[in-house]
Amino acid sequence: MKEITLEMAEKMLEAAERWAALAGYPSSIAVVDKAGAVIAMHRMDGAGPMTTDISINKAFSAVYSGAPTLMLARMIDPRMMGETLGSGGLGLLTQARLRLMFIPGGNPIRDGDMKVIGGIGCSGIPAGVGEISDTTAVQAGYAAIYEEYD
Amino acid sequence: MVMNIDIAKKVIKAAIKQAQEMDRLCSVAIVDDRGFLVALHRMDRAPIPTVDIARDKAWTASTFRMPSSDIGKFGDPSTPGFGFNTQNWNDRLTTIPGGLPINDGDEVIGGVGVSGGTPEEDVSVCRAALATVFASD
Repeated sequence: MKEITLEMAEKMLEAAERWAALAGYPSSIAVVDKAGAVIAMHRMDGAGPMTTDISINKAFSAVYSGAPTLMLARMIDPRMMGETLGSGGLGLLTQARLRLMFIPGGNPIRDGDMKVIGGIGCSGIPAGVGEISDTTAVQAGYAAIYEEYD
Repeated sequence: MVMNIDIAKKVIKAAIKQAQEMDRLCSVAIVDDRGFLVALHRMDRAPIPTVDIARDKAWTASTFRMPSSDIGKFGDPSTPGFGFNTQNWNDRLTTIPGGLPINDGDEVIGGVGVSGGTPEEDVSVCRAALATVFASD
């Protein structure tokens, strides 16, 4: 698998949307390519307008940093000062023309060689409600193209 | 009728089919009646900037309730509304043809924006998509 096609992106969106619907929280889900550019984005009925850009930016941030946005959230967490990025973690805030998201729910997608080939982001599911969150929705998303990994 | 994800997906599918027939690589964006994005697809290997151009066209068509190509008329000093190009429209206003409002009767329920071909081709992709989806209703 070298790059993510629109067809694969739609498959991922469908799976993530099913997950979000199951949780009962309408959400926006976005899939981006290895450049961080949108391939497909859906806002489910009832999801707020703000979730669109958040989901896109989460997916972008995952590609840009090569890490889940959950990890970025940890990096700027004041309680983690001196552990993850020394004392300079807050410097991340000004990066990427303010497009970096520090909210969990964006994950990079990697191929068999662990190279980042894209990202997926979800916004709309509150964190800390049961076992379901934006992160589990995006995991359901890229699990849907599992058979395409090589 | 209000814009929802099902209508948006149908319009996008029809637009991409039309673009494939015309042998063009496009992005298609659908916004609701407030100009907020509902769905956005970029065809494989379509250029990256088409994403934001398509979105801007859809926003312009939906919020101004007119095709994005009509915005150019406000560049004429004798037209009421001349000069509004000097305002900051959230960086989204565009005069490039290829964005059409989606109507339900007299009501605008959203907008569609296509980017990837020449402006004329983008408009015909929009028209064909809307004709396909709303002809049967």
